[in-house]
Order: sequence, then C-alpha cells, then structure tokens
Amino acid sequence: MATREELGEFLASAERRAYKQALFALRDEDNALDVVQDAMLKLAEHYSDRPAQELAPLFTRILQNSIHDFFRRQKVRSTWVTLLSAFSGNQDSEEDPLETLEAAQGTQAAESAADQAERSQIVAIIEEEIANLPARQRQAFLLRYWEDLDVAETAAEMGCSEGSVKTHCSRATHALAQALLARGITL
Amino acid sequence: MNEVEFAYRVRQALNEGTDQLPYRVLLRLEQARRTALARHKVGVERPLWIPALRFSTGWGGLAAVDQTAPAWRWIRRLGLVVPIVTLAVGFVDIYRWHEDQAVAEHANMDLAVLLDDTPIDTYADKGFGVMIRDEQGI
Repeated sequence: MATREELGEFLASAERRAYKQALFALRDEDNALDVVQDAMLKLAEHYSDRPAQELAPLFTRILQNSIHDFFRRQKVRSTWVTLLSAFSGNQDSEEDPLETLEAAQGTQAAESAADQAERSQIVAIIEEEIANLPARQRQAFLLRYWEDLDVAETAAEMGCSEGSVKTHCSRATHALAQALLARGITL
Repeated sequence: MNEVEFAYRVRQALNEGTDQLPYRVLLRLEQARRTALARHKVGVERPLWIPALRFSTGWGGLAAVDQTAPAWRWIRRLGLVVPIVTLAVGFVDIYRWHEDQAVAEHANMDLAVLLDDTPIDTYADKGFGVMIRDEQGI
C-alpha cells in the first residue's frame, strides 16, 4: 500500500510529464491543468491503497481516460462555450514566452543567453511538432518513448494490437523527423 | 539514426521542456498535488460503526475514547443491559396497572348492584349474568 509520502513523490515526479501530455492533446493550458488535477484526484481517492509500483501505470491510464473524457464532454458543449474557451486560451498564451524564459534562466545558468534562447526555441518547436502529430501516433510515441512503456503495455493502454503500436511509433518518428528537418532542425 | 536513437533525443528535449514550465503552471500543479494528497484515503480515519443501543458520550461520539479500557467495557455492557431491564420493569408496571383497573371496575359494579343503582337492562344482559355466575361459582 502506497504511503502518503510515496504518493506525493510519485505525483511530483509525474506531474510535469502528465501536464505536457495533456497539453499536447488538448492544446490549452487551463484544460490540461484541469485534466491533470482530475487524474491526480482520482488516483488519490480510488487507488492510493495500491502498492507504490502500481501507481505509474494506473496514473497513465487515468490520465489517458481523463483526456478522452474531456474530448467527449467537449463534443456535447454548445458553440458559444467553445468560443469563450478559445478566447481565454489566447490570453494565456500571451503570458507564456516571458515566463518560459524566466524559468530557463534559473535552470540553465551555465549556458550563454544565446544558447539558452536557441535551445528553448528548439524544444518549443519539437513540442509544437509533437502536438501536430495525429492523436494516435502521438499517444503511441509518448507512451512508448517518454513514459517508458513497452510495446505490450502501450498496446494495452491504447486498446490496440502490438503491431499497431509499432506502426504508430514508426510513422510518428518519421513524420516528426521530416517536420523538424523542414524547419532546419536535425537531432 | 534509427528510431530509438531519434526518440531518445526527442525525449531529452521533452524533459528539458518540462524544466521550463511557467511558474503559473508549476504552482497549479503543486496545488493539484496537495489537494490530491489531502484526499489520500489511507491516512483518513473511517467513520466508526456505532450500534444504536450503545452509550453515547455526547462530545463527538465514541471515536475519541479508548474503547479497550476495562471501565469502557463495563459501560458498553451496561449499555445493553439497562434498556432490557427498563423494558422488563415497564412491562411489569403495565400489567399491575391493568390489574388495578380491572379490580376498580368490578368494585364499582358490585357497589352499583348493592345500592340498586344498576339499570334494569343490565340484568337482561347475557354477559352480566355469566359474570355473576362465575363470581358465585355456580
């Protein structure tokens, strides 16, 4: 059974990746934060009596389900609500560049300002291109290579065959490489 | 570069991206984590099951009292015994009251017969005749 400290440590280690995954899928900071908070609450309320090593796969599944639930809810929303949420999304995106640069200065003090700016731009472009991938390809790629799930686990998570996971990952990799190359970035 | 190598470099970039999150986002993630930890169900005391007949302390229930203490065990036993004794005494009292009522009714009736205050229709009543015969042992 996971203790409160173990749960806290796990959430602290997983929350940023979870937020980024939700952001790639939803493309809205506030919605992504809401989904991550929802997933955290569900994990703490319903699964905190599970062993600590089970928390990671459980949280991954809860997060993916929460993202799917969000899309389902969004489908039934009326048009004017969608319009309002789009306006609020634009306001938030105006704040991001400055805040991002401030965070970068604190964490990478060894690099020069120019290197930091360039590196941040590259990271931003990579994130942007990942967000532009088709949903299933992006999900497979992130689960497989960022969440460190193996092919079988990724297939179980996505509800598809292992062959489909390999295909999605391969296509995602090629599409990402081509998109980055087109923007002058080689990894 | 093969797929795994490429994915590894993308992963490094993604990890860098998580280190550059805006303060506002980090703050909200921390708040979400704290809220979730507050609902961690292992550390939360579950409500105590209390039978209806148990003695209530009246200041927050029984959860705050050490129920394993010998004195508390006696109180719990008393909590079961006292209502049963009270119920038995109540039944006895009701029975006695009912008997007194019946005796008083008979006494009133006897007095009415002796004083000739009994209505004439009473003697024609079948039940009254049966009662008189029973009392006289006929």
